[in-house]
Amino acid sequence: MTASQKQDAQGKQAKLASAASAEVMIQLTKVNKWYSDFHVLKDIDLTVHKGERIVVCGPSGSGKSTLIRCINHLEEHQEGTIVVDGITLDKNLKNIDHIRTEVGMVFQSFNLFPHLTILENLTLGPIWTRKTPKAEAQATAMKYLERVKIPEQADKFPGQLSGGQQQRVAIARSLCMNPKIMLFDEPTSALDPEMIKEVLDVMVELADTGMTMIVVTHEMGFAKTIADRVIFMDEGDIVEENEPNEFFNNPQHKRTQLFLSQIL
Amino acid sequence: MGIVNATKTPARSAPLSEGSVLGWLRINLFSSVANTILTVVALYIIFLLVRGIWVWGIQEAVWSAESRRECFKISKEGACWAGVINWLDSIFYGRYPREEIWRINVGGLLLVLWMAPLWIPRVKGKVIIGLTTVFLYPFLAGYFFSGGEKGIFMQVMVSAAIVCLVAITIHAALGFFANSSLLQFLLRITGADKSSEKNQRNVLLGLLAAAFIGVFVWQMSWQFESVTWTKWGGLFLTFVISGIGIAFALPGGIILALGRRSKLPVIKVLSTTFIELFRSVPLITVLFMATTMFPLFMPDGFAINKLVQVIIAVCLFNACYMAEVVRAGLQAIPKGQEEGAYTIGLGYWGTMGLIIMPQALKVMIPNIVGSFIGILKDTTLVSIIGLFDILGMLRAISEDVFWRGLHHEPLLFGAALFFILCFAMSKYSRHLEAKLSTDHKD
Ligand SMILES: Nc1ncnc2c1ncn2[C@@H]1O[C@H](COP(=O)(O)OP(=O)(O)O)[C@@H](O)[C@H]1O
Ligand SMILES: [Mg+2]
Repeated sequence: MTASQKQDAQGKQAKLASAASAEVMIQLTKVNKWYSDFHVLKDIDLTVHKGERIVVCGPSGSGKSTLIRCINHLEEHQEGTIVVDGITLDKNLKNIDHIRTEVGMVFQSFNLFPHLTILENLTLGPIWTRKTPKAEAQATAMKYLERVKIPEQADKFPGQLSGGQQQRVAIARSLCMNPKIMLFDEPTSALDPEMIKEVLDVMVELADTGMTMIVVTHEMGFAKTIADRVIFMDEGDIVEENEPNEFFNNPQHKRTQLFLSQIL
Repeated sequence: MGIVNATKTPARSAPLSEGSVLGWLRINLFSSVANTILTVVALYIIFLLVRGIWVWGIQEAVWSAESRRECFKISKEGACWAGVINWLDSIFYGRYPREEIWRINVGGLLLVLWMAPLWIPRVKGKVIIGLTTVFLYPFLAGYFFSGGEKGIFMQVMVSAAIVCLVAITIHAALGFFANSSLLQFLLRITGADKSSEKNQRNVLLGLLAAAFIGVFVWQMSWQFESVTWTKWGGLFLTFVISGIGIAFALPGGIILALGRRSKLPVIKVLSTTFIELFRSVPLITVLFMATTMFPLFMPDGFAINKLVQVIIAVCLFNACYMAEVVRAGLQAIPKGQEEGAYTIGLGYWGTMGLIIMPQALKVMIPNIVGSFIGILKDTTLVSIIGLFDILGMLRAISEDVFWRGLHHEPLLFGAALFFILCFAMSKYSRHLEAKLSTDHKD
């Protein structure tokens, strides 16, 4: 182990310790969800503290997307409670709208708005939901575009950008809302290999700023670099949960072992 | 070692290909003996047809006469366009008093003035201009066309419409010539552009109120002679009915389509029932129902005239058809767009208005314009229930004492008129489609 890695590991340990006492950002208690008769999420318990970075992995169809989509109520759960930033998700539409402004989300398919320029994509949320003056919103947008390293694309339309650039714009669009939590649902799965790195780099930088993040991904190198905790899901259960070194080097559960042997 | 090309290669003409006219002719029409014979025979048939039409319609035609009998006297073989020409005013305006026809023309010009800014590239706020066209212009036009005593409500709406029209015109001129907007201009000349936002709003509201009061006082002094709707007719009436139908169909259709997709069961069921009900009945049935059944449900002493009944029927009917067009357009937008909008905190209306609708409408343009063309043509059905729209007028010519039996010429004229209108609309829709899709190639 090199000195810097050691330092890293120590840092992580310290963070884990402090996380326990830090403010709780997301709390899921006994969450259950069905798609008609199909039980997708089974008694999910999960606590995420401020500044924590969680990586979720697991086979396709295990319910990873459904889990994080419940957190900003793109999907509705039927049983259990979800508390985000102190607000309980229920039928109250005001609460849901509020939580969505606090929780950013990045999708596998980018979901940029093709009829608006990059800059308009970024300023739309602040202008309409945060009532930010246009000039200020544009300044913020340019700041984040610089952060994701594509300020020169501001006046283009999404269709004119590469996949990697679009995904970075999508990240910047979420950041413009100044969210407290960022959710990522397989952000690099739709990208060509040479573009994956540019997106992961941006996400690593974001992690360094102390953002609370939940990332569904199979990029194990990335998970090792940034994750405080890795969660393995299978068939609607959280099967195993551990800090990354332990998780990858010493998986406990048979299903985890099988999964890791397949993807590594 | 390099290669040097010392002689300049001379340009040659392109080889015959499908792309050129000659090439196309050779490949498609004269590729073999049989093909050549077919082509020649077909050309001969076309020649006979065209010559027949030419001789009847133009060479031998009578352009000025006092009656059909006179037409026959001048030429037995030719068309009697004189009848159509004599009736031209009626074909366009029905039985509208001749000395008041200018009101219709002015009303039409006002519409052009109102909507022209929509086509001027540098003008901002086009959505608002479009909305006012739908919701304010009809009052102004309505008063121009029908005249008579103005009720207080009508006075208010007419004044509002005039203020709005003047504002739009100045705004468009400022946008076009000075790349500015009315708001900026007003704030600058009143010197309020540096003060607080609240102050600016007060200044603008004050100016608006002043303009409104001025116009209101002014319009009290003028009054048009009343022309009842029974005198309306011809192309004018067709335009009134189909114009209102077109203006209402899109907003009505959007509302119904959103209702049909709603998560609230009551709204969903109501919208769906409404849409399916109207779509499963022919328009002519709806028109008969509207004119015969509607009055039965009305409270005593509350009579609405036949024209209003017809317009309501046309509006509802077409809104239901448009709802299905809109629904198809909405389905073409990927679900991720909605989710993307939700995650940046846009609520339902924000998502629909800013993200989904603009994209869906773009996809729908050909179908929307197709529906508009349909509305224009279907409006002629009102002649069956006794309104003298353009078709009614064209048929009335043959019942005129002087022009008894003159059927072909008026109907051909009407067909040509409709063809021009509909063709222009569909050409414009192509143009719009092409323009919007190159704007942001995606
Ligand atoms: N809208 C839906 N309706 C019905 N079944 C769904 C829906 N969305 C996902 N599912 C099913 O739920 C399961 C979990 O899906 P998902 O959360 O997307 O898995 P993952 O993201 O882990 O691949 C899958 O079997 C999928 O087929
Ligand atoms: Mg998934």
